Order: sequence, then C-alpha cells, then structure tokens
Amino acid sequence: MPGRTNSYDAIVIGGGHNGLVTAAYLARAGRRVLVLERREVLGGAAVSEEVFPGFTFSVFSYVVSLLRPEIIRELDLPAHGLQILPLESTLTPLPNGDYLAAWADPDLNRRELYRHSPKDAEAYDEFGRLMHHMAMAVKPILNMVPPDPTSLSPKELLSLAKLGKHFRDLGSERFSALFKLMTMSSADYLDEWFECEPLKATKSASGIIGTFLGPRSPGTAYVLLHHYMGEIDGAFRAWGFAKGGAGGISEAIASAARGFGAEIKTQADVEQVIVKRGRAAGVALADGTEVSAKLVVSSLDPHLTFLRLLEPGHLPEDLVEGVKRYRFRGSSGKVNLALSELPNFTCLPGRGPHLRGAISISPSVDYLERAYDDAKYGHYSRRPYMDIIIPSMIDPGMAPLGQHVMSIFVQYAPYDLNDGWNDQAREAFGETVIDTLADYAPNLKSSILHRQVLTPKDIEDMVGLTQGNIFQGELALQQLFFLRPLPQWAKYRTPVRGYYQCGSGTHPGGGVMGASGRLAALEILKDGSRWPK
Amino acid sequence: MKTRYDVIVIGGGVNELVAATYLAKAGRAVLVVEPGETVGGVLVTREVFPGFAVDVCAHDLGWLDAQMVRDLDLASHGLDILGVESSLLIPGQDGRSLSLRADAAEAVRSIAEFSPADAAKWPAFLERVASLAGFLQTLYRVPPPLPTSRDRRDLRALLALGRRFRGLGKVGMLEFLRTLPMSVADMLDDWFEGDLLKGALGAGGVAHLDQGPRSAGTAFLLLHREAGRPPGALRTRTIVRGGVGQVARALANALTGRGGEVRLGAAIAGILVESGAATGVVLAGGEEISASTIVSGADPRRTFLEHLDPDHLDPEFIRAVQNIKFNGVAAKVNLALDALPSFAPAPGQPDGRLLRGTVSVSPSLEYLERAYDDAKYGRPSRRPTLEVTIPSLLDAGLAPEGKHVMSVWMQYAPYTLHQNTWNASARDALGQLVVDTLADYAPNLPGSILDRQVLTPADLEAEFGLSEGHLYQGHLTLDQILFMRPVPGWSGYRTPIDGLYLSGACTHPAGLAGGPGRLAAMRVLADRKRATRRPAGLRR
Repeated sequence: MPGRTNSYDAIVIGGGHNGLVTAAYLARAGRRVLVLERREVLGGAAVSEEVFPGFTFSVFSYVVSLLRPEIIRELDLPAHGLQILPLESTLTPLPNGDYLAAWADPDLNRRELYRHSPKDAEAYDEFGRLMHHMAMAVKPILNMVPPDPTSLSPKELLSLAKLGKHFRDLGSERFSALFKLMTMSSADYLDEWFECEPLKATKSASGIIGTFLGPRSPGTAYVLLHHYMGEIDGAFRAWGFAKGGAGGISEAIASAARGFGAEIKTQADVEQVIVKRGRAAGVALADGTEVSAKLVVSSLDPHLTFLRLLEPGHLPEDLVEGVKRYRFRGSSGKVNLALSELPNFTCLPGRGPHLRGAISISPSVDYLERAYDDAKYGHYSRRPYMDIIIPSMIDPGMAPLGQHVMSIFVQYAPYDLNDGWNDQAREAFGETVIDTLADYAPNLKSSILHRQVLTPKDIEDMVGLTQGNIFQGELALQQLFFLRPLPQWAKYRTPVRGYYQCGSGTHPGGGVMGASGRLAALEILKDGSRWPK
Repeated sequence: MKTRYDVIVIGGGVNELVAATYLAKAGRAVLVVEPGETVGGVLVTREVFPGFAVDVCAHDLGWLDAQMVRDLDLASHGLDILGVESSLLIPGQDGRSLSLRADAAEAVRSIAEFSPADAAKWPAFLERVASLAGFLQTLYRVPPPLPTSRDRRDLRALLALGRRFRGLGKVGMLEFLRTLPMSVADMLDDWFEGDLLKGALGAGGVAHLDQGPRSAGTAFLLLHREAGRPPGALRTRTIVRGGVGQVARALANALTGRGGEVRLGAAIAGILVESGAATGVVLAGGEEISASTIVSGADPRRTFLEHLDPDHLDPEFIRAVQNIKFNGVAAKVNLALDALPSFAPAPGQPDGRLLRGTVSVSPSLEYLERAYDDAKYGRPSRRPTLEVTIPSLLDAGLAPEGKHVMSVWMQYAPYTLHQNTWNASARDALGQLVVDTLADYAPNLPGSILDRQVLTPADLEAEFGLSEGHLYQGHLTLDQILFMRPVPGWSGYRTPIDGLYLSGACTHPAGLAGGPGRLAAMRVLADRKRATRRPAGLRR
C-alpha cells in the first residue's frame, strides 16, 4: 500500500456496518475504495468475537431488524452469507412470579394478553395496525436525504414540497397520529391504548433504548417508532438474529464490498485526515503511513469526524460549537455471559420456546422510570432495565455443545458516573445486573462460567463510540433529520471539500440500519463530476 | 328575563368575556352564564381575608394583547395597567440571591457575582429568546395553521406564516426548530453554568407542567411564556390596579355597555342539541335558554363529556377528548402577612425593589428535577419549587397599611396522589410545606403570617371548574398545542356539534389572557358570514 499515490478514489474511515455499506456502494459504482479499520475485527459495534474460548458473542449490538431491505437486495447480502434467524417471542418475567409473554403466533399472543387484560387484547391488533401505518409513513423519510428547510433553492423547495405532499397525503388523522408519536412520551402514548403495566413497560422500553430519557419523557415515543421500523423480508416489527452473531452482518457487507473490488484493511488506525488547499487528500495513520485518495469518508461519530480527525482551523466556529453541544450521553451497558446451563425462570420453569426469544426485565413503567432516576443523578440503575437474548439457542454454533451464551443489554449505565468508571465500579455494575436477573432465574449465578461487563466507557474505549452512545448521538427530535448531526450539515458533506460523513450520527440514525451509509454513498456519487481528475 | 339570544357564552372567565364582548360589539345579542358569584374565572381577585384582596388563582396576566385592550376599549371601562414589573429574585441556599431585572447593566452585574461567563452571555441569550418567542407571538395572533389542509384559505395562512418564519433568518429558523423539542435543561446547559440562573429560567419551562426540566419540550414552554412580553427581562409580570381580577371587571363593563348580559350563579346542566346543531342550554334549575350559537369556556372534558349527551358525538372524538392530558401539578397558597419576608440580599442590588416582581424558589435544575421525581410517583415534592408574588407592594390598596398579601404557586402537587387523597390534612400539610420551604430562605416568614389559604389541585378543580386542577385546561406539551389543541382535527374553535364553539384555554393559544376568546369570536363571526351566503345544509 505505501508508495501508491492517489491510487484510491475514496478512503472510508472505520469498518463498521455503515462504513462498509458506503464502501460497497462506492465500489459497486466502479470506484476504487479502501476501508481502514482500527481494530483487528470488522464491524464496529456490529461484531462477533470469541471472547472466551468456544464462546462467541455479539459483543455490542445483538439483534437485527432495522437493516434496510434495499441494502440487503442491492448488495445481495444473502449471497454473501447473511442469514437472519427470527427472534419470535418476548418474555417479561414479573416480580409476583407471573409473566407476560408476546408470541409470534397471533392467537397464542392474544390468549396470553387476554389473561392479563381483555381490553388490551382487544386493542392490540388495532395498535399494531396503526404502528404499521406510522412506520409506512416514516419509511420514505428513511430513504431520503434531508432537505434544507431554510433554503430557497428550487431543488430544496421541490424536495420540501414533496415532503409536504407526503404528509398532506397521510390525511389529518394519520398526520396527527404521527405528530403525537414524534412529540409524546412512550408511556403517555401507550397509556392511550393499554392498561396492563408489564405490556406498557415492555413496549415503552424500546422507546428508551440508547437514550438518556425515561419512558415518561416526551420524545421517547419516536424512539419507540424507530424500533418499529424494522423489516425482515418485508414484515414490519420482526426482530431477528444474524447467524454467527452481529458480526455476520458486517462480514456479509464486507464480502459484498470486496466482491465489488473494495480493499479492506484492519489494524489501520487513522489518526488524521490530510487536507490540502481546503480539500481532503488522504489520511495519515498512527504508524506514520500516509494514504492518498480523491476523497475521504468518515463513518465515525460527529465528535471524532470533526474534532478528532481534522486539524483545528479547517472548520467554521459555529460548526465546532454545534458539535460540542451535540448530545451523546451514553446510557447503556452490556453484560455477556458464558453459561454452563440454561437459565431456569421461576415464572416459566424449564426449557421452552421462551428461551429462543427476547427476555425483557421491564415489569412496570415506574420500574423503568426509577431506573432512569438513578442515572439522572450519576448512578447506574440499582434495578436496571435489561433486554436479554440467548443466541446459542438459535444458533448453536455460538457456544460449546450443551453450554450457552447470554447477551444482556442494560440500561441505565450513565457515561458520566459519579466518581467515574473504574474496575471496581464495572464489577459492581456487573453484580447488580446479575443479582437483578437472578431474582427471576435463581440458577443463573451458579451457571456462569465467564462474564464480560462493558460500561459506556468501555464501549467508547473499544469501538470509539463517543461517550458510549450506541447511536452515535441521541435520537432526540433536535438531533434528527435535517438537524442530524448539525443544522446545515445534514447532507453527509462537511465544510472540507472531498470529506464526507456516513455514520449513524447522520440521518436517519442508528440501529444497524445501514441507511446512513447508503444515503451518504449516493450523495457522494452525485458529487462525482466534481471529483478531482 | 329573555329566553332567546344569538349567542350564549358558558363561563365568565376572561376568554369567555373577551369572546362575548367581541360578539356583542359585532351586534349579537349575547348572554354570559357564570356559575360563580364573580366573573373572571381563574383571573379573580377577592377579599379572601378581611381587608386583604388576593389574586386567588392565577397571579400573572401573561400577555394581554394591546390590540385587544384597544378593540374593547378596556381602559375606559376600568382597566388601569400600572406597568410591567421585571424584577425576578432567586434566593440562593448560601445567603446570596440572584436578581434579574430589565435594567441590563444591573442584571449583568448580579449574574457576574456568580459567573462572569454567564453575565457575558446574558444579553445574547435575551436576544435569542426574544427572537424565537417573537415568532410564537406571530403564531399566537392567528388561528392554528393546519398543515394537512387542502383548503386554499388555510394554505394561504400557512404560506403567510412561512414568510414570517423566513424573517427569522437562516440561523434563527434552524434555532427555532432545534429549540422547540429540546429540554429546557439542555437549552440552558448550552448557554450557562450558574445554578441559580438556570434554576430561575428552568422553572419557567416547567410551570404547570407534569414534567421536569430534563424532559423534552420544556424549552418550548420557556419560550411560550415569553411570547408577547416586553424584551429585556424574563418572567416579567403585568401589573393591574386592583389585582388581576380587574381585567374581568373591565370586560364585564365593556360587555354590558354593548348590550350584553351576564348572569351570575347560573350553572349549566346541559347543552341542547337538535339534529347535530346546538340550540341552547339548560340551567341547573331546569330553565332553558335558546341560542343558535353556544360558546363554551369549559374545558373539553366538561363541555363534551358532562354537558353533552355522548350520543351526539363520534366515539373516536370522545376517545380523543378522554386522551387530553390534564393532571394538574400546581397548588396555590395565599398568605396575609404583617411584615415583608426577609430574603437574602442580592449583592450589589438595591434592596427596595427586589420583592416587587417575582421571587422564584428554584435554586438549581437538579432541585427542580428532584421536585418532579416526587410527583412522578404520586406525592407532593418534598422540596417544592415556588413562584411568589407580593402584589400589595405595587398596589397598596390590596392590604391594610403596613401589611401585605403574598401569592404562592407551589409545584409539584400532583392531582392524583398514589397513597392519599386531597383531604383536609393533606391540604394542611401542603400549606405547612410551602411555609417551611419559604422559611428556609426568609426565616421571618412563619412569624408574620396572619392568615393562610391553601388550594390543592382538587380544590382548584372544585372551585374553578378546571379538570384535574390544570390551570390551562390541558398541558402545554408539543402534542397538545397548535393544530393538536384541544384535539387533533378540531383546533379551529369549532366542534362536531354545529353552532357549538370552544373559547377556553383548551384552545390555541392557551395561557394567554383573552387570546383564545378573541380568535373564537372571530371564528363565530366568520362562520355566520359564510352561512348567510350558503344554503344552511352546507354549513359546517
């Protein structure tokens, strides 16, 4: 590689799923692309690693749903090994020894819900239909480059007019339903539909994931919708698990990118973007190597993209200010366990289909809200919300025969812990998580062979996500669409010519969607005529 | 007594009187029916303790539109606006207070005592708030825009607003869109570091809201309260001689001067409807009065679920009304004092004027957030935030010489208590809590109290007809403003019942004295004009 001058059309910094998607689309259009990944594994936060001998974990991101179907299609990911195994149920164990389960079979599901609340069983299908319509209403926005609402240029006005027409065509009723989703709290929104506490709590939990907000904070209903936008084979709100773990997704995208001719290099730590005469000209690696290219694309978050990779002075002051007030506030941690046996839940003893789905520790809205209260004042939740899956139940290759891996997503674990995160705090946090879960599955403690505890600080240190925010920045209204990551810089470009952003810090945001990477690539290709010869 | 009018207005609150007076001015025969013994609704000043006149419920007029005051000639009907008082005192816990006043130099000096960096940003912050609130002011003078309407008139209105919006400039437009959905804590953290300053401004973002300062949408509420207010200071008060209740008295004079009538002590038992159109009202005593137009100042829950037979309404509409969020979180405590409270001095500020405006017990954003935490779980804040005024300092006529009246809004006191109900002992405990909290900042206060009145959210509901005791007839959250207020699809003051209109704070622009009433009257008049040009069957 050294010695080759200007031989690449584009360098993509970061081999996370968005970086790989951008690389694949650029390569597919015939560009010579190089992806540089700091770590030895590809995937960013979507990686599978054998953390303990024989036990493979989706170390960070652990389920798949939001990956855009057009990306799967256009990059032909199934041919590159992507296989999504369905995650069919959700079990919410309750402190009183009962449980609430959501099953894929609608009849079974209805009967289960009826047991808790006949009224909610009645409302459930109608709610599902509304959310489907809402997801449909938002879908075109996921596939569009955000317009600039303040511009008077004919192109922008046309784009705005189209958007206006899209909303008008929804009709007043659906438009106001969407407006409510955009502005309400998930708890309030669900209160309008349901009465069963564990149902409201488990549903509203998807509204708090990755945010520093409680379920009663306005804005969380949108995050709820965000998690409803997942499609697997055209079916909304279907969650799945990639064969081989989250790394399976990244590997498939990487394989597609290589198939189109992209080069991918790991253990290549980019230190700086080289700017010559106001234009990105390549990158400098930590080992001193320089690689030149006609343009550079960063898949890192806005903080790293603007403030770390660029020398100060290349950016206008207001942009720097904007990046500084962009909110990350990582709020979640991850605990990965290697188990000698399956957990035995008091509420539903023994082996069963419930262990092949998600297990949600979310008994009531107040429970989640109290978990949030701890985080507000700088503690991790004493009784955290957890979203748990046992991937080895779905993909036996993840663990030695008869043994299992368990993935526990935990909230809240604030990045800014009082007194800071250290080894002691990390272990105490891990204990809290295990203690809480052991209340529901008493055999858990004795079956733990190994455990990996990841705090937001660890997530930041390992994969580079600033403050450990899993979405590269909060999914709050003021950080979405034409405001993501920053007003006036939401079109994947930057003030430095030839330097682009493609991470989930750009529209439409995180959740292993790949949409940011794809839209960025399409915008970059549009600028093709302006590439230096 | 007549039994037939053009218009019957339900309720004698300021919005209703404004609507009635505009309609009377346009030549309609108008009757206002008010269940209480005085007009004014929540803006009422009464001699609660002998010799002491108190702003019983609301103690701030908000933005009183000058155009409206002129239109209805309120000055000559007894409205004497003494001016705007800008002083805002925020007592600290360490014996030092912060004082914010319209005098920029003084405010900057007081802020600098705590943080020179904050002081340097203060003028720019005021300018930013004024510009963003300025666009809200534009929005609040017209009916809510309807983003999905295909009606040419609505599109024209939308376009006109779009042009005004562009007037903010590129940065202003983006800041407006970015700020509205933010939390007031985030907004203030972007600007300032001082706890007292952020607490003082943050309290404005959560007033009468069942949210804390970290909740999204509270930055909007801060801006909302500044719309139409004079620049140079925040959380100012408009002072009227005789107390806030004087506005209603002037309006009632203006109304009767135009031939309108007001009947006090007349409670509504129901609204009469025939073939989908309102035909009149029936009073609690059984008396029926007819009119083809009914303007209801009651909130939607009362208007639709209590005053109307549900058979007249679509179940979806009823569900939307049931989904309106009220959940009052504020309680009112009124005190008669024989001495002024001794709050800690603000360094470098003249003591004489510090108490004239508003005293805000809101020492930090975290204090506010913790106060909200209690309410979230259904109990009153153990350390509440307070908004205190001493109206007798500016209008000596309100109390005997040398004595004073103090009006305190306390937050949070949730309408629904999880472990208790709002009974007499809960009410007393709340009153004591407020006094104890004040005593932390003004130690002489408990000894100078002559008399005390405590109104819990349940009392506010019973006394003022406010569902769940919410002062604005429904929260001012982003999902309940503009075209979403009071319910989606019915933000234009009309209702599914022909001839029945809403004019209360439940409609746009809530919380502005007379704003909704004026726009409701405009709607009634415009509909009538159209109806006379069209066959009756096409009316809507």
